[in-house]
This record gives sequence, C-alpha cells and structure tokens, in this order.
Amino acid sequence: MDFLADGWRRAVHLLLSGDAEVLGVTLLTLKVALIATTIACAIGIPAGFVLATRAFWGRRAALTVVNTALAFPTVVVGLLLIGLLSRRGPLGAFSLLYTWQAIVIADVLLALPIAAALSAAAVQGVDARFRRTAQTLGAGTWRTAWTVAREARFGLAAVVTAAFGQCVAEVGAALMVGGNIRGETRTLTTAVTLHAAQGDFGLALALGLVLIALALVVNVALQVLQGTGRA
Amino acid sequence: MLELRGVRQRYEGRTVLDLDHFVLDRGATVAIVGPNGAGKSTLLRLAALLEAPSEGEVWIDGRPASRSRPYRRRVTLVEQRPVLFRGTVRKNLGYGLLAGGVSRDAVPGRLEAMARRLDVHPLLDRRRSELSEGEIQRVAVARALVVETDVLLLDEPVSSADRAATQQLFRVLAEERERRSVTVCLASHQLEDAYRWSDDLRVLADGRLAPVTPENLFRVDIPPGDPEAARHVPVGPLTIAVVTERPGGPAILAVAPSDIFVSRERVMSSARNHFSGQVSRLVRPRPGLVHVTAEVGIELVAAVTEEAVRELGLMPGAAVTYAFKASAVRIF
Repeated sequence: MDFLADGWRRAVHLLLSGDAEVLGVTLLTLKVALIATTIACAIGIPAGFVLATRAFWGRRAALTVVNTALAFPTVVVGLLLIGLLSRRGPLGAFSLLYTWQAIVIADVLLALPIAAALSAAAVQGVDARFRRTAQTLGAGTWRTAWTVAREARFGLAAVVTAAFGQCVAEVGAALMVGGNIRGETRTLTTAVTLHAAQGDFGLALALGLVLIALALVVNVALQVLQGTGRA
Repeated sequence: MLELRGVRQRYEGRTVLDLDHFVLDRGATVAIVGPNGAGKSTLLRLAALLEAPSEGEVWIDGRPASRSRPYRRRVTLVEQRPVLFRGTVRKNLGYGLLAGGVSRDAVPGRLEAMARRLDVHPLLDRRRSELSEGEIQRVAVARALVVETDVLLLDEPVSSADRAATQQLFRVLAEERERRSVTVCLASHQLEDAYRWSDDLRVLADGRLAPVTPENLFRVDIPPGDPEAARHVPVGPLTIAVVTERPGGPAILAVAPSDIFVSRERVMSSARNHFSGQVSRLVRPRPGLVHVTAEVGIELVAAVTEEAVRELGLMPGAAVTYAFKASAVRIF
C-alpha cells in the first residue's frame, strides 16, 4: 500500500511545484477539449433543434442514427480516422495523423452525437407553446430558436457539459490518432495511461487529479453562465 | 380578411376539424363556442398559421397564406393557457415589438401604454413565477394586443379572470376596434360574454360548424336501439329521451332553449323529458328575451319572454321544471 501513499505525495508535489510537463499536458488537453466541444456543440445543438422541431422526410432515421452513434466505440472511430488520415487515405494530403488536430477531429466525431441527441431531447422537453407564442408574436427562425433555447437552458448546459466530458476524457481514439507524442499530442488521459503502464503511479495520479479538477472548473463555469434558476 | 377554405385537420388519423368555409371579415368580432374538444383551439392555431392543415388552405386578403413570417405577422393568437417567456413582464410585452422591428427607443412607451390600459402596469417588473394565472392571462393578452396585428385570436381569454378584468378586456377590445378596425375572434365557453360582446356567434361541435344555437350542447354516447322508438341517452346524471335514426355511438346532443317549456311545477304533457331543479341565473341576450339557466342535474338554458319571467316569478333560487319533447332534441 505504500506505493499509493507515495503516489499521492508525488502528485501533490508535482501539482504544487508547477511541473512543466504536467502544465504542458494540461494546457494541450484543455485546448483540444475546448476546441472540440465548441465545434461539436456548434454543429450538434442546431442539429438537435432541427431534429426536435422540424418534420422532414427521414427524421426518424436521422434520430436513430444519432442515438446509435452515442454508443459508437471510440477505438472504431480511431480506426476509421487512421484510415482516412494516413498518408494513403483520402485525407492523407493534409498530414493530420499524429497531430493534436487529429485528436480534435476524433473528439468532435465522438461528441457530436451526444450534442445532437441530448439537445434534441432538451428542446423536445420545452412546452410547444413557447415556440408557438414566439412565432405568433412575429419572431423569425433565429429569435424563436433563441427563445426556446432560453427555456431549455438547463438541458442545453448539460449538453455542453456532457460534450466537454466526452472530449476531455477521451483516450482510445486520442491515443490512436494522436500517437501520445510527448509535447505534441500527449493529453492528460493518454499520459495517465502511459505513466500508469510504466509504473509511475505518482505522475499518473497527479495527471488524474488535474483531469478531475478541469472537469470541476468547467462545470462550475457553466453553472455560473446559466445564471440563477429564476424564471 | 381571413378564410379557412376546405380545411381539415387530422391528428393520428382522427379528424378534429372539418370546415368547408370559415370566414373572419375585417373588423368583425366573432365568438366561437362549443363544448370541450370541439376543435376551437385547433381552429385558432390553424387561423394563426401556427399549424399546417392536413387539407385545405388559409387565405388572407384573398390570397393563400403560407406559414411564413410576413403572413404570421398579420395574425396573433393568445392560447388558452398562455405561457410567458423567461424574464420580466416588461420584457414579455416588448418581445413582439422588437421581433416586429420596432425601434428600441419606441418600445418602452408603447408597452407601458398597453400595460396601463389592461391594468398590468404594476406587474411590469415581475417575473412569471410571481404572477397568478389570471395575471399571466392579462399579460399575454396585452403582449398580443401591443403588436397591433390585423387579426387577434383569443382562446378562452378570460377563463382565469375575475369580473372586473373580464369587463376591462372587453372594453379595451372595443376601443381597439374603434381605433383600427382589428378583426377579433374569440373562443369561449362563457356564453353570456360571447353574446354580449360578439357580432357573430358560431357553434363548433365535433370539429364542424353546428347548425344549432350554442346553449345546451352535450357530448354523448348514443346507446344502440330501435330508430323508430325513443331512445334514452345518459347526459351526466340525467337520461334524455331522443328520437334519432343514428346508430349507437358518440354524438352531440343539442336542445334549443326555445324548445324548452318552463313551469313552476311539473305538468302532464306529451313532452318525454321533464327535469326539476332551481334557477341559477337569468341573462338577457337581447331586449325582451331572457335566458333562464337552471341546475336540473346538468345546466340547461331555456329562452323565455320578460312577461313569462314576471308571471312565473323566475329568479335565482326559484324552483322550476323544464320540459321538452324527445323530437325536439337534435342529435348530430
């Protein structure tokens, strides 16, 4: 059991001393997760709105695809991306494989169904009278969507939180398309995997604690942004 | 002004509205009455271009109206149980004005003027959670009126209002009509208000315009039986004798108020339906005519003259017997 206590001591020391490697990995993780969450939500939330509010041919099939994609194994996404991004793949010319941008692409693909499915559910949960009232008062598509979004703000905040959680905690696809290259594509999760496998429990634990702290900070920030629960 | 042409609306295969032609003329005040589930709210949502009909079209000013914003901006609907948006009453009242492109400088003046007229001025800085149902309804009406559309549709706008608020609303609507000839269509189950306020009263039953007066309408289940014999239809705690060729099944039962004989005691007659109870109220829809509502197990309205009211001593609380023939009962 000593290694556990040592691990905790080392973790606290690394965090308090501002270790350059821990800091670098944390900043890269934050950058990748924030960019991927932003892209996934920017596409996924409007898609969720459309799925929830518009009647169109194939809507049911689209919902099924989105819900199925929620359970898509991350290693399969990683495998598909390797096929697409490798030099011989259709997107090989962009030389994205084993870059942090490749991890962003993987995270977006994994967070997108979460953003679309959960925002569709959040919008469907809003009383239809809000949309009708906005429309009958002369609001156009965007103002109506904004009005409905304000009513669904708690559900939509949960969408952003869940998407960020997916991006920040992703390991399988990140490892496959990022390659876990020190200083370039090593994120908190891939670093934890590596150091735990190498027996450096303290460093792995320190990085794990940072990961949890990141999730906490982002959640608190989102709660502040949601404002009070006042109607 | 606004027409529904050959409009049918179906939900999950069930037809809830079936109108060959429904017109609202410019400046008209039309009341739609009918029992719950008659299709009043559906009709108003279609007229407000908030739903696409399963069949038929909505026309505005002689042209088919799409559900696009330019057409929608000519019609506003206040729903039966209206919702207020997040934020203060002030923000709610300004919503339609800002959506309609009114300049931000002009919004406060317009919304405050309307708030004063409907007496919601003291509520301007409150939020929806701080309002009663009646207050929410008044705010919703003010929010719709302030955008000054050509057609105003109101679905049971005074269902949660007290007498004073009801009268105030009808006064403001009358002022609006004088000022800018707005077309108003109101769905109501309160017949007294509908009679007093509207120029034109239409009855909706089972999704169709009904060829009967709006009083004494009941949704019933006709028991199967011999079409040549009187059948007995349960209506609440009563059983009403009817003559109909309809097979058994759901239907609307109507008794015209003018077909009901009123007496203080039960008298022997050919009428198959006799019900005793107490007068609950008297309403005068037009000079010389009195609608006497009595609680006889269900509420029934009989139309009598002022002379009959005097001779029989009809007043709230008086004991009465209502009688009508089985053949006077309309089933459709």
